[in-house]
Amino acid sequence: MAEPTEATPPGGTPISLSEPERLLLARLQASPSVPLGEPELVAQSGLPIETVRGSLQRLRSKQLAVADERRRETRSLTPRGKAALGAGLPERRLLDALRAADRPVAPNELSIGELTEQERSVAIGILRRKGLLAQGAALALTEAAGGREPWPEEEALRALGGGDATAAPESFAALQRRGLASSVFETERFWSPSSEGRTVEVREDANAVGALTPGLLASGTWKAHVFRPYDVRAVVPHRTGGRPHPYREWIREFEEILIGLGFSEATGPLLETEFWNSDVLFMPQEHPVRSIHDVLAPLDLVAGPPPGPLLERVAAAHEGRALPGENDPISPGWRARYDPAIARRPTLRSQTTAVSARFLASHPAPPFRLYCIGRNFRRDAVDATHHVEFDQCEGVLGEASTSLRDLVGIFQALAEAIGIRELKFRPSYFPFTEPSLEGYVRHPRLGWIEVFPGGMFRPEVLRPLGVEVPVAAWGIGIARLAMVALGISDVRELYLDELPRLTAGRV
Amino acid sequence: MPRATLSRAHLLAQLPGLPATPTLAERLFPSKAEIAAETGDELVVETTADRLDLLSEEGLALHLQGSAGLAKGLRHLPAIANLDPAPSILCDPSTAALRPFIAGLVVRSPEATGIRQEHLDAAIRFQELLHATIGGDRRAASLGVYPYDRLQPPFTYQVERLNAVSFTPIDGSNEVGAAEFLRSNDLARRYGALGASEGTILTLRDTKGTLLSVPPIANARPGGEVRAGDRTLLIESTGTRSARVADALGLLSVVFAAQGWSSAPVEIRYADHVEDGRAIVAPRSVRLTEGGLTKLSGRAYSASEVEHLLSTSRLSARSSPGGWMVGVPPWRPDILAEVDLAEEVILARGVRPEDGQIPPSVTRGRRRPESRYHRRVAEYLLGLGATELHTPVLVPERLVGLLGRTSAIELAHPVSDQFQRMRDVLSLSLLLALEHNVRSGYPQRFFEVGPVVERDRTAETGATSRMHSGAVWAEDRAGFADGASLVDYILSTFGAAGVREPVEIPGTIPGRSARLRVAGEAVAEMGEIAPTILDALRIPVPVVWWEIDLDRLWPLVRRSETA
Repeated sequence: MAEPTEATPPGGTPISLSEPERLLLARLQASPSVPLGEPELVAQSGLPIETVRGSLQRLRSKQLAVADERRRETRSLTPRGKAALGAGLPERRLLDALRAADRPVAPNELSIGELTEQERSVAIGILRRKGLLAQGAALALTEAAGGREPWPEEEALRALGGGDATAAPESFAALQRRGLASSVFETERFWSPSSEGRTVEVREDANAVGALTPGLLASGTWKAHVFRPYDVRAVVPHRTGGRPHPYREWIREFEEILIGLGFSEATGPLLETEFWNSDVLFMPQEHPVRSIHDVLAPLDLVAGPPPGPLLERVAAAHEGRALPGENDPISPGWRARYDPAIARRPTLRSQTTAVSARFLASHPAPPFRLYCIGRNFRRDAVDATHHVEFDQCEGVLGEASTSLRDLVGIFQALAEAIGIRELKFRPSYFPFTEPSLEGYVRHPRLGWIEVFPGGMFRPEVLRPLGVEVPVAAWGIGIARLAMVALGISDVRELYLDELPRLTAGRV
Repeated sequence: MPRATLSRAHLLAQLPGLPATPTLAERLFPSKAEIAAETGDELVVETTADRLDLLSEEGLALHLQGSAGLAKGLRHLPAIANLDPAPSILCDPSTAALRPFIAGLVVRSPEATGIRQEHLDAAIRFQELLHATIGGDRRAASLGVYPYDRLQPPFTYQVERLNAVSFTPIDGSNEVGAAEFLRSNDLARRYGALGASEGTILTLRDTKGTLLSVPPIANARPGGEVRAGDRTLLIESTGTRSARVADALGLLSVVFAAQGWSSAPVEIRYADHVEDGRAIVAPRSVRLTEGGLTKLSGRAYSASEVEHLLSTSRLSARSSPGGWMVGVPPWRPDILAEVDLAEEVILARGVRPEDGQIPPSVTRGRRRPESRYHRRVAEYLLGLGATELHTPVLVPERLVGLLGRTSAIELAHPVSDQFQRMRDVLSLSLLLALEHNVRSGYPQRFFEVGPVVERDRTAETGATSRMHSGAVWAEDRAGFADGASLVDYILSTFGAAGVREPVEIPGTIPGRSARLRVAGEAVAEMGEIAPTILDALRIPVPVVWWEIDLDRLWPLVRRSETA
C-alpha cells in the first residue's frame, strides 16, 4: 500500500505523496530542464516499471509533473517473414523453379519450389499480377520473366531483416498484408516537473519508515521510528480468491434440506444398461424414449448380462407372467415378449431413477429415504431451455405407511425450504409410478412452473425388486429449480466457465 | 408429449350445456390433457402418453362430460341387432412372416343418415394419430376403416403375389398393379416394406374378391372408401404386436362409442385357433380393493365417494366384498391393474397441497462418506485460490483428438460436435475452460471435482464412472513443481504420501509428466501441458495440470477420513 509523506507548495496546502511519488518527484526536481524517460527513472529509482508508471501518473494528476508524449513505430518481421527472408519469397522460389524446369509445369506438381499448397497458390497469383506467368492451366513463364533484378518487396524484406525500418510505405504495407511484417506503435513519455512541481518542497520525517521489515522487527529498531501513514484512498490491485461454482453451491444447499428430512445420499453409474435405466422401471421395451431420438448410446461398448434372478423377475412383470415362486401375475404387463438382448444394451443414463432401482435391488428392506443428485443425458438439441446433460434430484421414500400424501408433503417441504409458498398439483404419467403427478410452483416472475414430478412406484417395479412396502418416488429437474433460485434464464449458464463471472459478484 | 389438433366446434357439439366458465383450459388442468394452443376452430391438445383417447374430440368430450357433471358412468358400445352373417376375418398363415396379427370390429350409426362428414373427419384424424403413436408409425399396429354395407363378409387377410393384385389406391384415380403401386405411390414408398416382401403383398378382401386394402399401406377404391352417409363400418387393425393391435382398435372405438354407435365383434380365424373378438368391444373388469386404495392414497374414501369418482371418470363401479369390480372401456388400455384404478379415484378427487403430510423421519439423513471426502478436496482447492468449475461430461472430439485420449467412450449418434465423447479425464474439460478464457487475463486457476467414465471390461455396463479431482494452473511461471507439490499437499491432508514415477502422458511435455502411486496404486497424474496443445487452444501462458482419481485414493485414505 502507498505510504504518504507530504509536499508543500510555497504558501500552499500540503499535498500527500507516496514514497515512490516522493522519490520520483525528487529525481524530476534534480533534472528540471531535461525530461527523463521512464526507463531512466526505473534505473535511477530502483523501482519496478509498473510502480514508476503508476506513481508518475499520480504526480501528473496532482499537477506536480508533466509528460511529453511521443508516438514511436517499431517495424519488424513476423516469424513467416523471417522464414521468407531465409528461403526467399514464395513467388521468387516459384519463378526460380520454373526457370530451372525450363518448361510449362502443371500446378499440382508438388515439388515445384518445395512450396506448400497455400504458398504455391499465393505465388501463382502474384506472378500472374506481375505479368510473369502466362494465363492458362499450365504454369508457363512470359517473356517478361527474363529480368533478374530484385522486386521492391524483396528489398523491403531484406532491409527489415537487417534492422533498417525505412522501407517505402507501399512495400512495407504489401509485406504487412501478407503477414510477413508487423508494426507496433508505442507511446514514450518523457517526464519533467510542472511549474508547481519544480518549487514544491518535499518534506520527509527523517525518523519515518515505510514498510515494516523483518529486520526492523528482529532488531527492535522499529521502536525508534514512526510509520509513514498510507494513502488509504489509493487504488489497490484487483485480487480474486477461490470461488465455489454457484450451481454446485446451490446444489449443496439443496442437499442439506433433503438430509434434514432424513434422506441419505446414493449414487450410480453414468453409463447404464437398458435393464437398469428402463426395464427394471417397467418401461416397455418399445417405449419411444428408448429410440435413437431420445437416448444417447455409446458407439462400441459391450455390456455384460444383468443379474440373472432379477432379470427373470423383471421379464415376468413385463410379460404379465407370475413371478418365479408365485401363482398370479402382478398385472397383464405389457403383453409383449421381453427381450434380454435389449436389456444388456449400454446406454447413457437418462434418469437418476436408475440409481433408485439399483439401490432398491440391494436394499429392499424398509425403512429407506434416499436421494441422488446426478447427471443424466438425453438427445436434446441444446438451447436456452434444453441441454444434452442435465441434473436430476431423485428421491425415494419407503416405509410401511408411505402414501401419496407423504409425497405431497415432501414436495411442500422442499418448496417451502427454498422460499416457495404456492404449490398445486395435476396428473402426470410415468411408466413406473401410479399415481403420477406433477407439482407446480408459482414463481414471482415466471408464473406457474412445473418442478416436482413424482408418484408411487408401481407394483410391477417393486415386487420384482423384492420391496414389500409402498414407495413414493420423484425425479426433480433440479436445474430448473436452480435457474429460478440463481435468477438465470438460460440452462447453458449452469455450465458457466467464464472466469470474470465466476469470480465476480455474490456466490 | 403426444398432441393433436382438434376441432373446437366438433368437440363443443358433444358438450351441450357446458358452462362457459371455467374455460376449457381450466377444466383440463386437473386432467392428463392440456391445451397447448388455440386458433379459431383449431384446438391443439397435448396429453400424457397413457391417455391417447383424450386426443380425439369424442374421447375428450367423454372426459369433460364426466368432470363437468353432464354425464356419468361407462359409455358402452351396445350390440348391433340383426347382423347376419356375423362378421369374420380369415387370417391366412401366409401373413405370419410379415404382419401376423389382425383384429376387427363392426360399428353402426344410430342414425339412418349414417356418418356425418365432420364425424368421419374426426375419426380419420384420430386414426392417423394412433398410427403415429401407439402404432409406432404403422409398424406395430395400423388401422383401416371400410364401408361394411357395401362389402360381403367373410373377409380374408392374406399374402398375394404382386402380379395378382391390381387396384385403385384411395389417394389415386387409376387402377395400377401392385408392383407399380409400390414403386410410385408416396404412402407405399414410406410403408411398403411393412406390407410387401419378395414379390408378395398383404391384402384384405371380402368374399366376392373386392380388395379393401393392402395393409398397412393404403385402402383401395371402392372397397376401402368410406363416405359420409355410410351407416355400418368395418374397422380392422393389423400389426406385429398383438397387444398393440388390440389397443389401437380399442382406442379408435371411442370415436364411435361416444356418438352412440353400436357394435359387433369380428371373429378372427387363425389356422390353429379362433378368436371371437368380444374382448375388443366388451368392457373388462378390474378389481379395486378398499385397502389398496387407502394404502396408496393415504386417506379413507367412503364407498359412495369411490363410486361417484369412478363414475365421473367414465368408468362403472360395482360393489364387491372388500372393494369394487370396475368396468373399463376398450379405449382405456392404460388401466392394467388396481393401482391404475386407485389413480383414477385419487386424480378425479384432485390432489391438493393440504393433502400433504410430512412423515416423521425414522431414518437419519447423511451424505456418503465419499461425498464428504470429495467436498474436502474441493475446499482445499478453494483455499488455494482456485475457481471451481461444473462442466459437461460430454466433450468435443477435436479436444479428445488433440490430447490423444482415444480411449474416451464415443457416442453412437452425438447431438452435436460439442458433445461427442464421454470424458475419461477432467483435463479435457479444464483445458476447454482455459480456451474459453484466453481473454480473461492471467493467472487462471481452475479445478473441478467431477465424474469421468472409463472403459472397464469387468464392469456390468462395460464402463465405470469415477470421481476425479483435477486442476490447471495457467500463469507465467506455472511448472511441473506446482502440480506435484499441490498433489502432495492434497494427499497429505488425508495422511497419505505417494511416490512419483516418470511417465509419458499424451498432451504433456515429454520428461515433465509423472504418475503418482500410493501404496503401489496409481492415484494421480500430472504434467506440464505441451506447447502444441497450448498453441492449438491459443493459451498464451504455461499450464500445469494435475488430476487425482479420488475413487482409487479413497480405499487408501478412508480410515483417516471416516475416523
